Formats: sequence, structure tokens, C-alpha cells
Amino acid sequence: MRIFQIQRITAVALLVFMTIHMIVVHYPPFHIDFSIIAERMTNPVWKVIEILFLFSVLLHGLAGAYVVLTDYKQVSRYQKIVAGVIIVIGIAAFAWGSLTVISW
Amino acid sequence: MYKTTGFLSFALRRFTGVALVMYLLLHIWVIGSSLDSPEAFNERLNFLQSDLFKVLEIALLAAVIYHAFDGVRLLLVNWFKITEKRKNLFYSVMVISALLVIAGGVPILLFMLEGK
Repeated sequence: MRIFQIQRITAVALLVFMTIHMIVVHYPPFHIDFSIIAERMTNPVWKVIEILFLFSVLLHGLAGAYVVLTDYKQVSRYQKIVAGVIIVIGIAAFAWGSLTVISW
Repeated sequence: MYKTTGFLSFALRRFTGVALVMYLLLHIWVIGSSLDSPEAFNERLNFLQSDLFKVLEIALLAAVIYHAFDGVRLLLVNWFKITEKRKNLFYSVMVISALLVIAGGVPILLFMLEGK
């Protein structure tokens, strides 16, 4: 799939997830507390939502980083290496983030 | 070319995008590494509510809001084939973003100034 298409699809997903995130986590302002999040996280539906959010935001962000980096002529020579490093970062961040969500 | 709204939105989109992806990785690490106990989490949360981080938080809010609305603008222009409207839409994005950053940023500033 072309990166352009990935960005469009994940962008729409992120509009939904980001709105949910802003309202649920940051509104009303400054009342983030471990217990509030822990209570929400007892519901498995929230865990699924958080993991889908994590997946789409990593895909969107890292695909974007790849495009920005390989836009530079000097970097585009190492396109495959850049892609490899970004994929490894993505897998590591997704694993770390999912474990965080699951074990909460 | 460098004075067109097209170039400005391109540059802002890249700048905010790069900043946001770096924040994202930090964010994932910070949350994941502070879950040993509720105390550890709240302690780190307190640290992140210092003045410096409050100001950075407003910058983060601005980056997220601008990037999101500029993205909506691109999707609209692309799907509805309204390239001739893209400039007006860019100004709308700027106005909407400014209003939302003020609406979200003022409470953050008040929180910072009035104490914790």
C-alpha cells in the first residue's frame, strides 16, 4: 500500500481517537490521576481502543517520519536502512505501549 | 514559492509532524516506565506539571490542533476536489486553531500561575 493511502486512512482514524483521547484524558483539565485511569482501564473495551489508537498513531507518525527523512537526497540513498530502523522502532514502541496498556 | 500559503502549510505540517512523532515516542516511554506503583505514576505526573512543562504543553496542544485541522483541510480538498478553496480553507484552519489553542491554553496558564 502506498504511504499516501496509509496516511489518509490513519489520519481519519486519528481524528476519532485523538478526539476521544482529548475528552476522556484531558477534560476537565488537570484531573489526571492514576486511580481515574486505572478505573477506566478495567473495561477491556478501553484497552482495545487504546491499542488501536497506539497502532494508528505509530503507523501515521513513523510513516510520516520516513517520508520526511527520505525527502532529503543524502538520506534517500540509504532508503532501505532508514525503513529498517523505522520499522524496528515501530515494533518496539508498539510492543512496549501495548504491554503498558494490557498490564495497567 | 516560499511566500505562498501552500508552502507555509507544507512547512508547518512537516515541522509539527516531526515534533509530534518525537513527542509520541517519549510519551510512550514515559507512561510505560512509570507504572510500578500509583505513587510512582503520580510522582512523575507532578514532575511534569512544573512551569516548563506547562509551557511545552501549550506548544504541544498547538502542534496537535494545527496538524489535525490542516489534515482535515487536505482530506476535504482531496475528496471533494475543491483545490480552488484550499487557500480560504487554510485561513479557516488558522483561525480555528488559534481559537482552540486559546481555549485550551488559557486553563493551562491559569493552572500554572495560580498554583497547583
